[in-house]
Amino acid sequence: MYDVQSHTEQALQQHDIKISSRNVQVYYGDTQALRDVDIDIEDKTVTAFIGPSGCGKSTFLRCLNRMNDTIDIARVEGTILLDGEDIYDRNLDPVQLRARVGMVFQKPNPFPKSIYDNVAYGPKIHGMARNKADLDEIVERALRRAALWDEAKDRLQAPGTSLSGGQQQRLCIARAVATEPEVLLMDEPCSALDPIATAQVEELIDELRQSYSVVIVTHSMQQAARVSQKTAFFHLGYLVEYDETGKIFTNPEDDRTESYISGRIG
Amino acid sequence: MTIDQQHIASAFDRDLEGLQALIVRMGGLVEDQILKGAQALTDRDAELAEEVRNKDAAVDALEEQINDEAGRVIALRQPVSTDLRVLLSVLKIAASLERIGDYAKNIAKRTSVLAEMRPISGADAALRRMAREVQLMLKDMLDAYVRRDADLAEAVRLRDEDVDQMYNALFREFLTFMMEDPRNITACMHLHFIAKNVERMGDLATNMAEQVIYLVTGEMPGHARPKGDQTAFMAAGDQED
Repeated sequence: MYDVQSHTEQALQQHDIKISSRNVQVYYGDTQALRDVDIDIEDKTVTAFIGPSGCGKSTFLRCLNRMNDTIDIARVEGTILLDGEDIYDRNLDPVQLRARVGMVFQKPNPFPKSIYDNVAYGPKIHGMARNKADLDEIVERALRRAALWDEAKDRLQAPGTSLSGGQQQRLCIARAVATEPEVLLMDEPCSALDPIATAQVEELIDELRQSYSVVIVTHSMQQAARVSQKTAFFHLGYLVEYDETGKIFTNPEDDRTESYISGRIG
Repeated sequence: MTIDQQHIASAFDRDLEGLQALIVRMGGLVEDQILKGAQALTDRDAELAEEVRNKDAAVDALEEQINDEAGRVIALRQPVSTDLRVLLSVLKIAASLERIGDYAKNIAKRTSVLAEMRPISGADAALRRMAREVQLMLKDMLDAYVRRDADLAEAVRLRDEDVDQMYNALFREFLTFMMEDPRNITACMHLHFIAKNVERMGDLATNMAEQVIYLVTGEMPGHARPKGDQTAFMAAGDQED
């Protein structure tokens, strides 16, 4: 037999492990939302988390930059390592962590400030720019990365909220990448966008993969299939299956995965 | 892996079932074409041969219908996993059945020519046995398809060797007849093409059986199957082993 190499663009290349979780349990008060999650998320790869509502995928995403810290009754057990470093270490500053692990939310949520200030905010508080020229450069680079520069360059002082929904979401992505994060978490970033804006954001995600590890939670199976190289399926708080996206969508190992992705009752 | 659960969108289930029903119908029609083609040959029945030739249009029309509907389901439902494999296998099996239909039609065409010639002793009966064997492979393949039975499909796949052996034997016989009397050459050439066509039908039935295995398991059978066609290495005057 010949060894035939896959020529689809999404064919998996092995990358270094960026985030590694072991035995993660999450509780909201007495309810256990996640059980025994072990996963290795790779660098320079888009990883999609899919699963029905309440399966724990967003909860797990929020563990990765300690967003669950902001919920009083949430409790996280187990270990999550970012480049081998325990992110739940007592000495680690969650604000610093969130500069390294950026996040984009479901609804575009620009600050009530100008487009420029939305992007410049993070770099400013993290002291990344020495002067105005530096900051201008950072803002331009971030807006370019988010494919928003051409549309926004002539109206940088306009309020961020004056942009269209799709532009606002790209502004939020620009804001997230402005601090040069290593990991970008996206919680259903396209659910409020029309198909064209969705396609633009997806194209952007694919470009961001060159530099970052991107983790995306999505309810759209087609989106997971389109943008990700690896897919994790969560169900009832368990990580059921985690594999190459092509494998998950053509021949998954677990019946529960099959039922879910093919739209069956299960 | 196969899933017995139904889709939330029940129209999707109906679409998939409808497509598979078309495959079974097409398969039945092609089986019929093989048997009738072989019968027309043995009986030198020009009328039956004509019927087989005309019926091929129905096989082609079914393939076209299957292609259209499968394309539509792919566009509208974006199938994944088992559903996707069902559609891929539907397309491939329909293409193979259409090809078998063409071979059956070709047998019928040659039958009209052969009817004018003196028979080659034993050849018609041997060809009919061979066609019968291929038709049975096709029938079992379709059963395996409907029942999602990878073991039965594997058994069909291995049976192609028998068809190849029958073809080898016929190949030798035709060589002998042609060497004995050059007046046999025209008939033997036609008969040989028929034998080759039936042998190709067996190969296509094997391919379809492999599609069934892919459909059920998600993987194409990897291990090589025994190949029986030796005629590529035979020359006139070779001794029997």
